[in-house]
Amino acid sequence: MRVLRAEWTKLTSVPAHLWLALGTVAAAATTAFGLGMFVDAADGRSGAWVVTSGFVLAQIGFVVLGGLVGTSEYVTGTARTTFTAVPRRLPVLAAQVLVTLVASLTTAVLALGASYLATTWARAAEAPPLDLAVPGTGRALAGFALAAAAYALLGLALGALLRHPAAAIVGGLMLTLVGDQMLATNPGRVTDTIRAFLPSAGSRLLQDDAAVASLDAARHGPDLGTWGGGAVVLAWVVLTLAAAAYRLRRHDVR
Amino acid sequence: MIEVEALTKRYGSTTAVDGLTFTARPGTVTGFLGPNGAGKSTTMRVVVGLERPTSGATRVAGRSYADLPAPLHAVGVMLDARSVHPGRTAYKHLLSMAQTHGIGKARVREVIAQTGLEPAAHRRAGTFSLGMGQRLGIAGALLGDPATLVLDEPVNGLDPDGVLWIRRLVRELAAEGRTVLLSSHLMHELALCADRVVIIGRGRLLVDASVQEVVARSERAGAVRVRTTDPEPLARELLAIGAQVSPQDAGVLQVRGATVDDVGTAARRAGVTVLELASESGSLEDAYLQLTGDAVEYRAADAAGGAR
Repeated sequence: MRVLRAEWTKLTSVPAHLWLALGTVAAAATTAFGLGMFVDAADGRSGAWVVTSGFVLAQIGFVVLGGLVGTSEYVTGTARTTFTAVPRRLPVLAAQVLVTLVASLTTAVLALGASYLATTWARAAEAPPLDLAVPGTGRALAGFALAAAAYALLGLALGALLRHPAAAIVGGLMLTLVGDQMLATNPGRVTDTIRAFLPSAGSRLLQDDAAVASLDAARHGPDLGTWGGGAVVLAWVVLTLAAAAYRLRRHDVR
Repeated sequence: MIEVEALTKRYGSTTAVDGLTFTARPGTVTGFLGPNGAGKSTTMRVVVGLERPTSGATRVAGRSYADLPAPLHAVGVMLDARSVHPGRTAYKHLLSMAQTHGIGKARVREVIAQTGLEPAAHRRAGTFSLGMGQRLGIAGALLGDPATLVLDEPVNGLDPDGVLWIRRLVRELAAEGRTVLLSSHLMHELALCADRVVIIGRGRLLVDASVQEVVARSERAGAVRVRTTDPEPLARELLAIGAQVSPQDAGVLQVRGATVDDVGTAARRAGVTVLELASESGSLEDAYLQLTGDAVEYRAADAAGGAR
């Protein structure tokens, strides 16, 4: 509990973290505003898609936030101070997971709110309204926050494992964004199977029922179900965290 | 109390610390000396649990560091002044340390005042000078009011006021019965504030003794220096009374095995004019340079030749 308070102080006392969260909210809202302008009823896009469309850019912010929390200890030498105060070490990683979870969920909720406000004008024009009665809308909105938190935790875990921000952030973005996009250019049984088991599958949580159905219609890979994407990204987070915990426990801190 | 027992630490094929054993006792300031790369910092990092020994063990207050129930109350550590996030203020840095042990904000403000950081407490640590970073590191070490302090190069980068402050601080801490282990390259400084010195070279123990003992071992200690117009007859006289004489530059002789009185009398017998006559006292620096002469990893000449 004490370590948790200390990690919260650390997270909130670095201005760069606050600016990053603010920038992520702004990126989500701006993207949603821009994409919202081009949506009309004929697209078959739902109201949830319009509000959550900022995720495509905002997810980078979440991976970076997690990556920074995971690596800044090692980059700045704060690790020496931290781990002499908490020589058992693992409570620090656990506390980082919790504060990153809270920070990313808060940022995601703010981003959703800002995106909703930013698309008010679009809804007044051609874009469909946000209607919770449309099947899967609730899941898509919750999925925005859950996928955001999962990506931030993946960034954190990679950061704690690799201890280098560039490696953690680039690796995180490859896994959550770039890899999926590259494989998508060559659809097929093999590539679609790999895509299904990459952390980027977490973004499936953002789709409402109609969008999931249309994705599944074009899919050659395995069917993991509606929440399967969430389970995949969760498994990545847990495994990477376990590896990071092992390294933290067994290896020296410089 | 810090106990280091047969400590060995290897990184791949490099042996940083090699079978090192020593004890830093309560109520004393133990100076930890050695050339660059001798293994001082490695030893200190092992003592505070950041690195695992390859073999051997270290204990603080009778326990291994990781088993201490409240490490900050047992050991104050300053390994490197740059152990702070540059974007965080000094106050928040100390607060986050304090929170891991449930130490209150009042104590944080107390150590800030004690280390003279008040004007800078709410500035980002990245804007700090080396000396201020050093003060922040010491503030962190004092935070838990520990019975043992481990300070790596605490006077590095401090101005003369700061050096004086550290000297008084470590003397006070030891006088209160605490154990202080501090490393430094500044011999004069250590001679003034340490009670004992542990000197290592290439990871091995060279000396573990009181400062006086080490100084007494230096080559110059107890020697007599004499400068005359005509050193040769004097040298013959001195050899005749069983002293050892080593001629130096410009008519100077260094004499062992004879007192100043003996040398003066011999000079009269030799009929030479004495221009200068004094007994020499050794210094910690001399003793250190002699002891570590063989153990220096990098020499200026090697560096110039691009060796290693």
